[in-house]
Amino acid sequence: MLENVFFGGKTEQKVIEKIKKHIQILCAASECFKKALEDRDKEQLYCVPDLEREADSIRREIVSTIYEGAFLPYLRSNICRFVEIVDDAFDLLEDAASELEYVGLKLDQEIEEDCIRIADINLKMSEMLLIAFETLFGKGDLREKTLAIRIYEKQVDEIKFDLIKKLREKEVRNFWHGKMLSDFISFHTRISDVIEDASDYLHIINISLR
Amino acid sequence: MKVVEIMTKKLETIEVDAPIYDAIEKMIDKRIRSLLVKPNDDKDVHGVITVRDIVNKALAKNLDLNKTKVKEITSKPLVCVDKGMDVDYAINLMSKFNITRVFVNDGKEIIGIISLLDVMSAELIKRAKEGHRA
Repeated sequence: MLENVFFGGKTEQKVIEKIKKHIQILCAASECFKKALEDRDKEQLYCVPDLEREADSIRREIVSTIYEGAFLPYLRSNICRFVEIVDDAFDLLEDAASELEYVGLKLDQEIEEDCIRIADINLKMSEMLLIAFETLFGKGDLREKTLAIRIYEKQVDEIKFDLIKKLREKEVRNFWHGKMLSDFISFHTRISDVIEDASDYLHIINISLR
Repeated sequence: MKVVEIMTKKLETIEVDAPIYDAIEKMIDKRIRSLLVKPNDDKDVHGVITVRDIVNKALAKNLDLNKTKVKEITSKPLVCVDKGMDVDYAINLMSKFNITRVFVNDGKEIIGIISLLDVMSAELIKRAKEGHRA
């Protein structure tokens, strides 16, 4: 009964499906980015901005539908905020892809290995975010999904710590190469923080539903 | 779930003849609790030095950390699991030997390490995924 009141209506279901689609695109973009990094393939990297644009248009539709009357008013801002945080992850992924392209997809082996590991964890985090979102509006324990996301984030943190140390020991070829490499690492390692923020917001939405 | 899927590939090593102080510095810098001790020669085997070894065998006994060598408090031989073994087997080994980490080998080569924290994290992630499918 309560489920029906909160998210059982037609417009609510439409929004839920669109948010799922939005996160699925994040998974696709993360996978595409990881593959481009592994294969050092510039062409594959272009799917990231393409998917970001697609996600952008879905985000606009979600926000419009919500303010057209989906969900109880007190839930709307939190759901919109969640969608915006997911969108921030897209922006970072796009920025990372762009910097990687400027760097020429050529990273030193030890840096490249760490970046691929981070890309892999980012993908797993996106997939877990989708699972967590589905749990919010279905059955299951949301807490264990958000914990899994936090575990992944800690794993990225550990790699990041090492990666930054390696970067500091590297000789900088020239100012712009150094800046682009530094920006790339910074964008790439922040994605996990943002996905963790998004999962925290799911927790807030869950509490507000009680 | 196989140990190779959840092990940490990054292995920090130290020479047997290094002073314990070097081992402590490395552990603090790298934020880790154990170091793989390299074999002394071809006939020797790898060992491990842990924070527990340093506290119990060196600090508690007031040994000079700059003069005492790593080999004096190293535990040998390593407790290892083959990369293809199940995580459950690694858990049993940790429980049997009362240790918190085991090394992962591929033939004679040590290729990773798996700790109780790795096991717990992997298990929680697995449950989060399976709980969703159920």
